[in-house]
Amino acid sequence: MDLRMRVNDKAVHLAVEPRDSLLEVLRDRLSLRGAHAACEQGACGACTVLVDGRAAQSCLLFAVQAEGSEVRTIESVGTPGSLHPLQEAMHRHHALQCGFCTPGIVMAALDLLESTELFESGQPLDRETIEAAMSGNLCRCTGYHPIVDAIEEVASGRIQSDGRSSTAAAAAGSEHLAEVEG
Amino acid sequence: MTLTEAEQETATDQTGGPLTGRSIPRVEDARLLTGGGRFLADVQIPEMKHAAIVRSRVAHGRIRNIDLAAALEAPGVVAAFDGRMLATVSRPLSHLLPIPTIKPLEWHVLATEKVRFVGEPVAIVIAESRSSAEDAAELVDVEYDELTAVTDAVAALADGSPLLYEEWDSNDFLSHEHVTGDVDAAFAAADGVLSERITQHRVIGLPLEGHGACAQFDASTGKLLVYASNQQPHNLRTVLSDVTGVSEARITVIAPDMGGGFGNKQHFMREECLIAVVALQVPFPVSWIQDRYESLVSSVHSREQVHDVEIAYRSNGRVLGMRTKIVADIGSPELYFTGASPALVTTSLLTGTYDIRAFSVELHCAVTNKCPIGAYRGFGQPQAFVTIERMMDLLAETLGLDPAEVRRRNFIPDEPRPYVSVTGARYDTGSFPAQFEDLLDLLGYGESRSAQEAARREGRFVGIGLASIVEATAPNLHSVAGRFGGFELASVTVQPDGHVNVVAGTKSQGQGHATFLSQLVGDELALPLEMIDVQEGDTALLAYGMGTWGSRSAVMAGGAVIRASRKLRDKMRAIAANMLQADTASVELSEGMFRSAGAELPFVAVANAAYLHPFLVPPDLEFGLTETVVYDPRNTSYFPDEQGAMNVAATYATAAGGVVVEVDPATGAVAILDAALVHDCGRVINPLIVDGQIQGALAQAVGAILLEEITYDHDGQPQTVSLLDYLVPAFGSVPRVRIRHRETPSELEGGFRGAGEAGIIVMPAALVNAVDDALRPIGVRVRQTSLRPKHVRRLVREAGFRVDPLAPVRLHGLNIS
Repeated sequence: MDLRMRVNDKAVHLAVEPRDSLLEVLRDRLSLRGAHAACEQGACGACTVLVDGRAAQSCLLFAVQAEGSEVRTIESVGTPGSLHPLQEAMHRHHALQCGFCTPGIVMAALDLLESTELFESGQPLDRETIEAAMSGNLCRCTGYHPIVDAIEEVASGRIQSDGRSSTAAAAAGSEHLAEVEG
Repeated sequence: MTLTEAEQETATDQTGGPLTGRSIPRVEDARLLTGGGRFLADVQIPEMKHAAIVRSRVAHGRIRNIDLAAALEAPGVVAAFDGRMLATVSRPLSHLLPIPTIKPLEWHVLATEKVRFVGEPVAIVIAESRSSAEDAAELVDVEYDELTAVTDAVAALADGSPLLYEEWDSNDFLSHEHVTGDVDAAFAAADGVLSERITQHRVIGLPLEGHGACAQFDASTGKLLVYASNQQPHNLRTVLSDVTGVSEARITVIAPDMGGGFGNKQHFMREECLIAVVALQVPFPVSWIQDRYESLVSSVHSREQVHDVEIAYRSNGRVLGMRTKIVADIGSPELYFTGASPALVTTSLLTGTYDIRAFSVELHCAVTNKCPIGAYRGFGQPQAFVTIERMMDLLAETLGLDPAEVRRRNFIPDEPRPYVSVTGARYDTGSFPAQFEDLLDLLGYGESRSAQEAARREGRFVGIGLASIVEATAPNLHSVAGRFGGFELASVTVQPDGHVNVVAGTKSQGQGHATFLSQLVGDELALPLEMIDVQEGDTALLAYGMGTWGSRSAVMAGGAVIRASRKLRDKMRAIAANMLQADTASVELSEGMFRSAGAELPFVAVANAAYLHPFLVPPDLEFGLTETVVYDPRNTSYFPDEQGAMNVAATYATAAGGVVVEVDPATGAVAILDAALVHDCGRVINPLIVDGQIQGALAQAVGAILLEEITYDHDGQPQTVSLLDYLVPAFGSVPRVRIRHRETPSELEGGFRGAGEAGIIVMPAALVNAVDDALRPIGVRVRQTSLRPKHVRRLVREAGFRVDPLAPVRLHGLNIS
């Protein structure tokens, strides 16, 4: 089947099998191997990518379901020499050990941090909210608190810098992305 | 945000002073955070084909026939093999354990005659893609003559039980006895005896990345290249050589980035050998990546044991003697080095941190028609401490003593050191009583007891659990885990440009080896971390290595890299002295400069001279700057002595843990209100990493006790086959542990003791004790480790307690707003 989508700001057009998952196409056809297959049952979140800005488990999506969508993977977020602020915070807080779940964690947390609904609702991004939002992602190494610490720190930094609006911070994040992609 | 004590102690610090001891964020992180990790499934070799493994659907049966014809005709299939085909081209595996009472056993990469658990591999299909291989695997027709499954270890040992191995005449794979002191006299002198049966359930380590292997044989050179997600790549090379007949000189094993291991990847999996054997039969590389069903039913399970324990005590709370009988369910024993090894470790630690001098243990390792039992973080130790710590609490209750007090009356005294345990372990540790008092202080024990009293008056079920452990680290498990253990190798090379390559025989699975080994080398060579590159997991880079398990890496690889770096520093000082026309003794190295009497030379100038300016190298020195060091403290026993005693570990770490829980008797849910842990791993290299290990181990302890349980039905069919059946802790289900370090240096190089497992060894005991303590007012006695809500509810019901749904209303009144 014919599949057209945008992946990390690039147009992609390729022929796929109906049964190919989005994860398989990203990993095997596009060589974007940062998203990992760990349960292939939607239970662990290691395969999490953003589809049209929202976290999605790419092992549960057929590739053809991404037709016309904007897909973002870990490969579009920071580089080793220029980490995204969330990645920087995770590094400082020792929020990863083996690193296998980490790309999925980063993408799920980005969905949360960039969620305009949440900021517009005026809800503080407290630990409980973070834990609930991240509950689709498993980590077997860290015991979770360092990850929550990192997300909380990035979230509170935004609130401090520009009140309750997320716009400026989100824009700053996008600039950062544009920079590393450019 | 207020910082907890643990956070304050681990606030990252990147300025000034030696690197060792500082919470330096890891050098591994940037790559892993940006999707640059390269795990086994990311390995791509041109022309690589994909394997799917056909697994037994019956728990116990004879293979009547395997028909591969339909699979071989399926689209994309390039080859298929069954066990009998591969048995003719490979050698069998064996447990290789030098234990006189163990049953002889060999097995092949695929089952040949019988299957003994659901998930046992019986055939393999190779195809162009993984999905076509899986489709074709479903077409393999296997006929079995089914036999009665044996699923309970205690029943397996009873007369008349069906046999897994008819030739043994019993299901008792290994029996072992050990006696120290006059046990009968201790029991005769006692004021009382406590007898209990404590059951410990089956769990799985479950690294998020499962097992897997990818192999390529080059017929023109005779070389075999195997990628595997394995904690002991050099040892795997040895086993692969045994099985394939290819010389170790022609095998390279590469363990790429590993998505966790936790001991589960310490074994040399049948499938890893299978993929290598298949690669020798076909003209293309073959890859197999375990899926989650396979990981849950046919990899490595752990922990399942039944302990019958008796302690003889005086009325003052002093324990005089201990008798134990352990039945360990080891499932199928066809896993190199079998589930007998962790069970033997359990037997060595049952007296815990207490001065009990009369002790006996009888161990039976029963084979059952379930997945093999093997290594999981803790390796037999959590079971020992659940039992002794549970008994301490029961003794306290029997005598009307506080649980803390009964422990104080029994702790191993501070002198002498080493203290030789009843099984010959030489404890080189710090003070157990002082560590325990530290825990009571960190936990706020007195206030916690007062708060518990207040909660009980409100009808709430709050409990406090305490535990104290000693942990064998950097073990030499020669006699319980086959040939591997003991020494470690590392090489350190200063390149002509002054950068440093470190290669260690250990293998990080997330423990930050590249960071902490760099810290050690950086201090010896006065270099910043950016100048140091650490590599592990490639057998071509180092003659041998023993891998990472048993909390050995900081002690063993750390010791090796320190010694290698010191040799290089001394050699460089001699070259620098020659260049400066000074005495070697007067040359010092600091901050990247060799200095003597006001003259100085940059590190890189000396490095450069060692390779490229031979006239600057003193004539008695060899050119180049590379050192390979074998490190072994040589203080462990290879075999038990005449009394059966042996020292298994190079050094011992200790910890004390406490938790406060609240149990809801209506739902069986256990909420953890507080968790505290005092930890002594000797000199801490990187507190950020060590605290991360403790927090992560706590999560696995919480999972093992409150959520996780592998179950089978009576026919041996597994009931936990996905992450929807086998629940592991998620965000929000793990408390943050408060940590305090005591640093009692070991006598080994660097003063290190092992770290990484203490949390999972001490916290299961503390949790079980806390739940018991919470439910004590209604007469519940906890004698099991699985405290999932359904089990807690059963205990509450069995105690005859009926939950009053209106109790909160009676207490607080109706609050309708």
